[in-house]
Amino acid sequence: MGTGTNVERRTVLKAAGVSAVTLGLAATACGGNGGTSADGTVTIRYSWWGAEERAKKINQSIALFEKKYPKIKVKTDFQTYQSFWEKFQTQAAGGNPPDVFQNAVGFLRKYDRRGILLDLNSQVKAGNLSLDHFRAGVTKVGEVDGKQLGVPVGSNTMALVIDKKVFERAGVDPATGWTWDDYFKALKTIHDKTKVPGDTGYFAIMYLYDLYLRQNGKAFFTKDGLGFDKSDLTEWWTDGYGRVKAGIVTDPKIVAQDQPKSSLSAGHGASEFTWDNFTVRYSAEGSSTYGLAPIPTMDGKHTGQYLASLMLSASAHTSHPKEAAQFIDFMVHDPAVGTIMGYDRGILASTEQYAAFKPTDTVSKEIAQYEDTTAKSGVLGTITPHPSGADTVEAAFLRIGGDLGQGKTKVTDAVKQFFTESQAAFQA
Amino acid sequence: MGTAVTLVKDSVPTTRKARSAAPVTKGRRGRRENLAGYLFMSPWIAGFLLLTAGPMVASLYFAFTDYNLFNSPKWVGFDNFTAMFDDPRWRKSVEVTAKYVVIGTPLKLLLALGVALLLAQSRRGQAFYRAAFYAPSLIGASVSIGFVWRSLFSDGAVVDRTQSFLGFHVGGWVGNADWVLYCLVALTVWQFGAPMVIFLAGLKQVPRELYEAAEMDGAGPFRRFWSITLPMISPVLFFNVLLETIHSFQIFGSAYVVSNTYCGPADATLVYTCYLYQKGFKDAQMGFAAAMAWMLLLAVALVTAVLFWSQKKWVHYEEDAR
Repeated sequence: MGTGTNVERRTVLKAAGVSAVTLGLAATACGGNGGTSADGTVTIRYSWWGAEERAKKINQSIALFEKKYPKIKVKTDFQTYQSFWEKFQTQAAGGNPPDVFQNAVGFLRKYDRRGILLDLNSQVKAGNLSLDHFRAGVTKVGEVDGKQLGVPVGSNTMALVIDKKVFERAGVDPATGWTWDDYFKALKTIHDKTKVPGDTGYFAIMYLYDLYLRQNGKAFFTKDGLGFDKSDLTEWWTDGYGRVKAGIVTDPKIVAQDQPKSSLSAGHGASEFTWDNFTVRYSAEGSSTYGLAPIPTMDGKHTGQYLASLMLSASAHTSHPKEAAQFIDFMVHDPAVGTIMGYDRGILASTEQYAAFKPTDTVSKEIAQYEDTTAKSGVLGTITPHPSGADTVEAAFLRIGGDLGQGKTKVTDAVKQFFTESQAAFQA
Repeated sequence: MGTAVTLVKDSVPTTRKARSAAPVTKGRRGRRENLAGYLFMSPWIAGFLLLTAGPMVASLYFAFTDYNLFNSPKWVGFDNFTAMFDDPRWRKSVEVTAKYVVIGTPLKLLLALGVALLLAQSRRGQAFYRAAFYAPSLIGASVSIGFVWRSLFSDGAVVDRTQSFLGFHVGGWVGNADWVLYCLVALTVWQFGAPMVIFLAGLKQVPRELYEAAEMDGAGPFRRFWSITLPMISPVLFFNVLLETIHSFQIFGSAYVVSNTYCGPADATLVYTCYLYQKGFKDAQMGFAAAMAWMLLLAVALVTAVLFWSQKKWVHYEEDAR
């Protein structure tokens, strides 16, 4: 650097100028072959979201599959829910999605519209995959406009997961057919008696608001948009924020810090509306005992609940549709796989697997019991369609609802923002 | 990155000079040497064209389109750019980033200069201290430090307890929309080691005789710093200000990790690149995201230009004195 005792002007200018210009974007390139090796062995890629616990079970299942089909190798990878869909979107856009992947109802129309999902009916006709022997109605979840875009592995339903110990201490006993008024009174009782907020933030959960709307003859989504108007949401969020202020709903500051744990399993809330099979996760994560309670109602009867499910889908771009279908078929029907997986992804969807797995732990038993009672009480309705963009809308609902709880946004602004973002998501 | 690029850039004029100095009769050998030179450079050139220049041109095109990654891009002119100003989250991200740059950069440089002044004096164990202060710069950008920070600034953790002990209770910063940005500022300030080393190099080059002369004239420590040290290291200071400002604009990792990927709560850590990422890779609005990237480039270029313009007033170069 120069000969003088001071730094030369030119050197500095150059270094600074170049540094200013090197700000740019980098791109990654992905490549892949068809996945067939010389000896006729076919390799398919299978991706899913979940955690370590699920990974172990899935690897055991795949070992069984590879034993039965020695000419098919399955390569797996997994991420958390959010990262999974970010990665999937990029892979799919590059024309290189995994051959088989876990899917959920909110993504069917989005990726169908983009031509990513294989209509599995063709494989059913070819005899590589069977849609028989499923529990009543569950395969419907994977159907869009007559196409079978996903095959369910397990069914689940929205429920109220509760911290049993806190509920007991407060002397609150949720009863079937209880109303929203009963529920909010219970939250107050719990908070008064135990100092624990009764709920972790019900008003930002899209799938719960969907149930509430269904109880009122509406639904969160129509085929191509939102099924409610601004005044509906203004009322819902105004009440929600009021309950945060009153202390009966967990402070969103705490919720933000508990992530990625749930505030329920972290002990900062006594109940949470979520999918019933999450009880498995919360029981592993938290130190209390967790159970299931009925969804509050308007009229003492209708909960608005329906069966949803996690599914397996295949890529429309796969070079091995037959092998992908055989793999899905094995994963959903093989009884041994059912015993390994248990209720990790919901109540097993096929009758073979449902019959094969006999839950021994109390949590699994309770989930089975819950879905059984819910089904018998006749409250289960049909699932409303989820338009393309439903996933982005769900995330926006959660985020904006959370912001609102922080007291940083006025309800009217939050509602406006949500509607604007939703419109953009449906069009994207 | 800056330094690596500088080295390559610096070598170019040297070879050119060597070439023009070579006798005309050795033209062919010169050309061959030239070819060899370019061959040696080819990995870098290929990398630059394929991984930087190419994507940049593509992104410039996408900035004027509506592109969701799946459908082919649709030309929309300046729509993406005008839409930004109507988007409250974009405005929020600009505000958050500006706050971060304006608060974080000066604090970091002050600390770097302060510690450099202390370490410039000959003391025992000097090498150890330099290494120790520099260490955070090496690991600060890693994801694991982000996690450490997240737990340090949570409810009931060290920072919360110390604060409560001192008598003002805030709770964890991580979940608090009013405080969480300062958690990120603290993280960047903590990495003051890199500018400190540059300051140290600058301080070492200030001629001793200037201080001796000033001391004889009765100048105190403050006067010596103000009238000798500061003007003499002003090019280094300028370099650091420029580098750190540009660097601050690009903050992403720490915001992403500390907020558990949401850049919240209540968008309080929604830094510019984080929103860009969300728009591009979550919402698949690549056109908008590309436009945002170019907007950032323009903003950084503008700030850089202003800094360059301002240096006439406060940066003293050796050649100016001649």
